[in-house]
Amino acid sequence: MGGLNTALYMGVQALNATQAALDATSNNIANSNTPGYTREVAQFSENAENFSGGTVSGGGVTLNGIQSVRDELLNLQIQQQTSQQSSADTVSSSLQSVQTLFSSTGADIASTLSAFSSSLVQLSASPTSTASQQSVLTAGQNLAQSFHTTADGLTSAQSAADQQVTQTVAQINTLTQQIAQLNSQLSSSVTSQQNGGSIQDQRDELVQQLSKLTGVSVTQGSDGQVITTANGTPLVMGGKSFSLQTTTGTDGFQHVLDSNGKDITTAIQGGQLGGAIQVRDQVIPGLLNSLNTLATQFAAAFNTAQTQGFDASGNAGQAFFSLPASPGGAAAGISVALTSGSQVAISSDGSPGSNGNVSKLSAALTSTLPSGQTPANAYSSLVYKVGSDISNANAQSSALGQSILQLTNQQSSVSGVSIDEESTNLIRYQTAYEAAARIVSTIQALSEVTINMVAP
Amino acid sequence: MRVNPNMVPNILADLQQSQSTLNTALQEVSSGKRVTLPSDDPNASAQMVQNSIDTANVDQYTQNITSVLTNVQAASSTLSSVVTSLTQAVSLGTEGANGTNSSANLATLAQQVQNILTSVVAAANTSVQGIYLFGGTTSTPPYTADPSSPTGYTYNGNSDVNSVAVGDNLSIQVNLPGNQIFSNPSNNVLGALSSLVTALQSGNSSQISTATTAVSSAINNISQQQGFYSGAQSRLNAQETVLQQDTVTLSSQQTNLIGVDLSKAATELSQAETANSAALAAAAKVLPNTLLNYLPTP
Amino acid sequence: MIAVSVRTRTVQAGEHLQLLRSLGRELERAMQAIAQNDIDALEQSVANQQEMSSQLNHLADDLSSPAETPLTFSSDSIDHSIDHDLMHEIRSAAGELQQLNLRYSILLKHSSRSVALMASLFSSFRGEFQEASGARLKQQTWSCQM
Repeated sequence: MGGLNTALYMGVQALNATQAALDATSNNIANSNTPGYTREVAQFSENAENFSGGTVSGGGVTLNGIQSVRDELLNLQIQQQTSQQSSADTVSSSLQSVQTLFSSTGADIASTLSAFSSSLVQLSASPTSTASQQSVLTAGQNLAQSFHTTADGLTSAQSAADQQVTQTVAQINTLTQQIAQLNSQLSSSVTSQQNGGSIQDQRDELVQQLSKLTGVSVTQGSDGQVITTANGTPLVMGGKSFSLQTTTGTDGFQHVLDSNGKDITTAIQGGQLGGAIQVRDQVIPGLLNSLNTLATQFAAAFNTAQTQGFDASGNAGQAFFSLPASPGGAAAGISVALTSGSQVAISSDGSPGSNGNVSKLSAALTSTLPSGQTPANAYSSLVYKVGSDISNANAQSSALGQSILQLTNQQSSVSGVSIDEESTNLIRYQTAYEAAARIVSTIQALSEVTINMVAP
Repeated sequence: MRVNPNMVPNILADLQQSQSTLNTALQEVSSGKRVTLPSDDPNASAQMVQNSIDTANVDQYTQNITSVLTNVQAASSTLSSVVTSLTQAVSLGTEGANGTNSSANLATLAQQVQNILTSVVAAANTSVQGIYLFGGTTSTPPYTADPSSPTGYTYNGNSDVNSVAVGDNLSIQVNLPGNQIFSNPSNNVLGALSSLVTALQSGNSSQISTATTAVSSAINNISQQQGFYSGAQSRLNAQETVLQQDTVTLSSQQTNLIGVDLSKAATELSQAETANSAALAAAAKVLPNTLLNYLPTP
Repeated sequence: MIAVSVRTRTVQAGEHLQLLRSLGRELERAMQAIAQNDIDALEQSVANQQEMSSQLNHLADDLSSPAETPLTFSSDSIDHSIDHDLMHEIRSAAGELQQLNLRYSILLKHSSRSVALMASLFSSFRGEFQEASGARLKQQTWSCQM
């Protein structure tokens, strides 16, 4: 034997090593449900054996560190798909509020257009009835109102997306600062051989959260982890973070700037930020544009039909609708210019009982506008666009969700902790310790007896 | 390769899916609709826009036919009674022309024909709910007394006709102006009657005969004009049938687009409920079972 | 006869010494197994210890049982004919074994206390899993104070 001291030394070493190993197991169990936790395996190496006095004794063990089992490629895929899914979800939920404007509620454009159309049909049969004339006026006012409501709903969804841009940028900056701090901790703790595993897990979890906010590209640089946006704007470089800023642009919306002040709004893709910008700068402007065009062209066609006839008092027909000066406000500002039902241009020749112009008014509703579609078809296209944008985003999100689940499964099978595995060990340890404890007593007694054997 | 020890996300994902299917099935059965928002079915929602406009129009066309038929039928029966009056006038004129009448008789006959003229004018001025049937598109009585006129009456109306929309591409003319029916220069009914009155008053038999013949041909004219109204009536009735068919077509198009087959939906609902219960039961068994349950507590 | 029993005793004493040393090594093995988290090795070592300590029991009995000599009045019953040096070595080996055993038992106590704590902690886990909304699921984490 190497002597009592060696045994003592080994005992102490074993204590320390055991402590760490038990820490690992308890860590594993405590963290079996921690998001992103990676299973830890104690890595031991045997110390060189000691030769002393012609005998060999074990050198004990040294704890080399506890490594985390992870698959970097899986992490990357999961991050990318998470960004895409988050972006699709943002588009979908932003447009949900808009969608009710286009569904059949009675106050939507389809319903008011129908009522307007049938009020003209009724006028055709009773051109001199003041009630019928008034109906047309009222139906026209309802139609204008439904344009307002739809346009206002779209612009407020746009404002909501704008606010989301500001909030998301703030969240991104908070996360990048935290990630940079963890990177600093990592680079100092790895060199001192302490456990970097749980810090790395925390950091990966934050990067995962960041990928929900914007598309990111994560690489390993010489100074540590490098995180940029999808188009290369730096966010984190090792222990240093770079904040994004927002500023009000000429369009009245928040533009995203990198830390040098360069406008990167159009280059942002993925995540909540990418989705919000897409909704605010592309989807909703497209819808508003079509809506404004419809309002403008429809009003013009109907007004023209008005001026081709005469009203019940024999006066030449005047414009039925009035539009605001700027075409961008057409749908929000369209209104009925006539003040009385008697101003509806029913007559083709000025005689009060003639309904000759009513057919022209009706025809304006079914005529092909300069855009190439009838009013009804132009509006149908809008309904289709809104509905399919949302259902496509939902389908994309759900497909990505499946994929992420599969990838996460793979990740868990590589990194995940099984409660059963770990608790099996606990049971075995308990049993073994009980048996060992009994033997300890036996050995104690034995050695007592032997020691007390006195040679004569 | 290790098995994924964390089945929780998978089980939860399956549960969510089954819950979502259940919710959709429930929604469809209770609302009778498969599509309530554009994103439920963008194509169907877009087509529904035109469907709703068409449906509203068809309803209104149908109502138009009803109200127009009233006027058309009124005009037709008015003209029938005018024909009756004119026939009577012809027999009065014939009697007056036989040369055996005393001047007192002739005076009486003349007065009777004058009365007929008055009633025909009254008929020409028929109005239904404030609309004059035979005034063209004016809104004042078509015929007013005018001593300076040879017939004693002036036509105040115009020659305009109205066509009423009864279909997407169908308008039906619904009126004839009075100056075509009653005071047409080539066949002036009022003129014929007033000539007969004058002739009877004069007692000249040949004059009376000529005037009576004119009144006879007026009857033919009126009958022809009546043909217009009966033609309009049958066109309106035919269109009414077409519109009824359109209503059915539009209604079933709507059901196809956004409605739900209730018996099918009910079956799907009960299947979804069963599946959901099974998923929940399975999850309840699987989730909490780990060895920890069996670890002896020290 | 006496010569044979003397030789047998010496041989037995030699075996005794070897066993003491082997048992010591076995304890070291057990401690290493605990350090390496190697439950299999630990279980095997404990089994070996069991075997060896029962053998030692027999040997100790034999050593201390009286030889075929007239009764003596000394409290010990060791045969004086066993080599003095051998006895000395046996005693010191037993002493070292005792020290090792002490260390080993402290390690065992320490470890089994940790294991017991963990076991009671985790067998009290009655966690509930909450459903997350949306297509993305989050794994829940739970923790408690020890």
